[in-house]
Amino acid sequence: MHTFYKGTPDAVALPSSAAQVQAIVRACRARGVPIVPRGSGTGLIGGAMAARGGVMVGLNRMNAILDVDLANRCATVQPGLINLWLTNAVRERGWFFAPDPSSQMVSSIGGNVSTNAGGPHCLKYGITTNHVLGLDIVTGAGDLVHLGSAVSDRPGYDLVGAAVGAEGTFGLVTSVTVRLLHAPDAVKTALASFTSMEAAAEAVSAIIAAGMLPAALEMLDEVMIGAINAGSGADFPATAAAVLLIELDGPLAEVEAQATRAAAICRERGAIDVRVARDDTERALLWKGRKEAAGAVGRLAPTYLLQDAVVPRSKLPVIMRQMGEIARKHNVLLANVFHAGDGNLHPLICYDDRDPAQLERAKAANEELLAAAIALGGSVTGEHGIGYDKAKNLPMQYADADLNFMYRLRRVFDPERLMNPDKLLPSHPACGEGFRPQRPVLPAGTWV
Amino acid sequence: MAISARALVHGFRAIVGLDHARDDAAAREAAAVDGVVPQVIVAPRSTGEVASAIALAAAEGLAVVPRGSGSAMGQGHAPARADVVLDLTRLDRILEYNPDDLTITLEAGVTGSTLDATLAAPRQWLPVDPPGVATRTVGGLAASNASGPLRARYGTLRDLLLGVRFVQSDGVATWGGSKVVKSVTGYDVPKLMVGSLGTLGVLTELTLRLHARPETERTTLIGLPDARAAQALVTAVLDSALQPTRFEVFDATVLGALGAPSAAAGVGVAIAFGSVEAAVAAQEAELAGLARGVGGTTLASSPSLWSRYAGQWQGAPAATLLTVGSLPARVGETLAAVAQVVDAFPTASLTCGGCAVVGSFRVLVSGGRASVVAEVVGRLRAVVSAWGGTVIVQGAPRDVRASVDPWGPVAADAFALMRAIKDTFDPERRLNPGRFVGGL
Repeated sequence: MHTFYKGTPDAVALPSSAAQVQAIVRACRARGVPIVPRGSGTGLIGGAMAARGGVMVGLNRMNAILDVDLANRCATVQPGLINLWLTNAVRERGWFFAPDPSSQMVSSIGGNVSTNAGGPHCLKYGITTNHVLGLDIVTGAGDLVHLGSAVSDRPGYDLVGAAVGAEGTFGLVTSVTVRLLHAPDAVKTALASFTSMEAAAEAVSAIIAAGMLPAALEMLDEVMIGAINAGSGADFPATAAAVLLIELDGPLAEVEAQATRAAAICRERGAIDVRVARDDTERALLWKGRKEAAGAVGRLAPTYLLQDAVVPRSKLPVIMRQMGEIARKHNVLLANVFHAGDGNLHPLICYDDRDPAQLERAKAANEELLAAAIALGGSVTGEHGIGYDKAKNLPMQYADADLNFMYRLRRVFDPERLMNPDKLLPSHPACGEGFRPQRPVLPAGTWV
Repeated sequence: MAISARALVHGFRAIVGLDHARDDAAAREAAAVDGVVPQVIVAPRSTGEVASAIALAAAEGLAVVPRGSGSAMGQGHAPARADVVLDLTRLDRILEYNPDDLTITLEAGVTGSTLDATLAAPRQWLPVDPPGVATRTVGGLAASNASGPLRARYGTLRDLLLGVRFVQSDGVATWGGSKVVKSVTGYDVPKLMVGSLGTLGVLTELTLRLHARPETERTTLIGLPDARAAQALVTAVLDSALQPTRFEVFDATVLGALGAPSAAAGVGVAIAFGSVEAAVAAQEAELAGLARGVGGTTLASSPSLWSRYAGQWQGAPAATLLTVGSLPARVGETLAAVAQVVDAFPTASLTCGGCAVVGSFRVLVSGGRASVVAEVVGRLRAVVSAWGGTVIVQGAPRDVRASVDPWGPVAADAFALMRAIKDTFDPERRLNPGRFVGGL
């Protein structure tokens, strides 16, 4: 989590055009000065932190919508554009931009591209990379390159796919062409309360196994429910130990049939209360608690670490049990509000930053949790990214050869390693010059 | 350290076993790639064996051509060299299927039909349906980023490949991505591998995201007077809340082959909806209204429509199959461009159809000498380049690909990066040398 990583840039640049971005990169390159790109600064991984000083490039002034082309289902925007502003610009015509990180009211699309951001609705719609068609980038070598476009099939390597989620290590994004989607016919939201996390987690698996792909499938745990109930938020049942928020969208008849079935599944799994919103007002009420979750944590502790590991969906009941054990072992308070549908955990590990011992306990619990998720076949990060925070964790998921491959890929775009140094890849022998992964030992007889 | 050709096969046999490395004349001739006859054909059984085989090839300075079912061997340029053909069909195991997670990990040589059979009982699927998918290998589908009508709803393998194991040009086995449906851990290496035609690494293992099959999927077949009306229908459907699983627009020849009476219409459209029965019926009713509004007629559809549609693109071996990359708002113009080419080249016969949601077309060119087919490609490129469109040769006889660049132009700035990537990961041009864009 970012709050305890501090770094001060030597200078801040706020360019207003791709040409200015390119001039900045070239000037820095000539002097060997590191560059740290920054969007709205809402990232959770220390990705926009100047670890080694250098020039911070804020892209906020480049926030124009350059083109909206609904007939071709796309728009081209500058990187500093706020995520939600794009949907706001096309909503009246019935369209939307699908990636919806919780920060979407403030985070920039350039930042979303760099971290390959997710959000509650990416269960159905996919994360940012599934919606990026083209990118203009000023690479670490100082070249302005145009990658991809709205055209459906293009020859050559998928450079757009490789560059989304590169966290500024390939260069600075100066323009993004994104896919826009037509709004669904209908949206139906249900809220189910359970007396145990395991029961709620099993309901998640059963809903997916029944062939449904909800737009969102979010879970809150007992601690979170208590914190929200203590405030002005939604009135979850007092005996609830887990709440499941289910949102279905699509053709009206499909949504109605699936909402009925999802509600039945929840009751079969022991839900003590199932509410299905009858209109937009009721729907907003069901989401209210979920949306207030991050704020409600303030009632529990002054600050928190946020873990973003992923487990296979079917392992949710297991990781929930393990999480409880880890919390007890390290004597920390955990609150859960997460994307259950795709197994993306978001435990908030509460601590008081005035007490160094609490921070150490929180950090220890955080690392142990991550290790537990990986041991279950999971991933280090589902949507927040690696940044400065998790670079050291990459070897949990990747062998030396895998890290070395990524290191060499980075060098293609940033030969002098000036772009966002110390982010995404760890300082590790495999991420250094001259490292050669072990090649297979040929069996005896190969040289007959 | 060069060893004799005779000793070479023994070297590979020490890796894959006596029966799985061959250098007899018949086998070598049969495995020739665009006339380049390999020295040896090696059929490894595991990632480890692929790694050892490539390490041996590296030590001996040999070029390696990976092959799955062989259906995409007519793609790209002729290889500059092809010393070792790596037959990957013995990598045919399903390694881990987790129906509850909607994920599967399998070896690259598993075929579409094996995968389909595995996923049938839990009513799941890998919604990737290019022509001939049943006999193609999943690794080959990924390496060539093959797609079919289902991309309208589910995207392509780019959107479905979660993790990938591959062997680099020096024999180092490497993994990228994850085994869960959501991960942003490190660079998105799977995206780089999809569509790279084995030029950065030989794919050996894939983890894929699956989908639930819709309860009901049903198709409406519509005849429209002309390309302009087709465009109007495409625009209307895309600007509605309809959610087709497949949405193809095609010429009168294809429409006829799908059972429509001759001269029924100038252009055909097939749209499938997949959902619960009530939602399928409701969407069909809405579609019928939109179709009437643009002068369309609903025609009799049959359950075998999509297999017959796929069959349209599996022409004689001498035929050339193109992918035309276009845009949803250019569907009508793309159809018109193909029709103009038909008129201009009477010796060639063309059929055309594609996914309206993204504007991706197939054009099958049969008849006509190689020089004529090359001219057809050139003419189409000239038209669609007006809006940034592309024409890629998906498969063609060698003489056609010798007459025209099968990939078409790639902008210099992007190509410089592609070349730098190839230089980084395959500096000795060991993997599929020369076959990819710009001769990479």
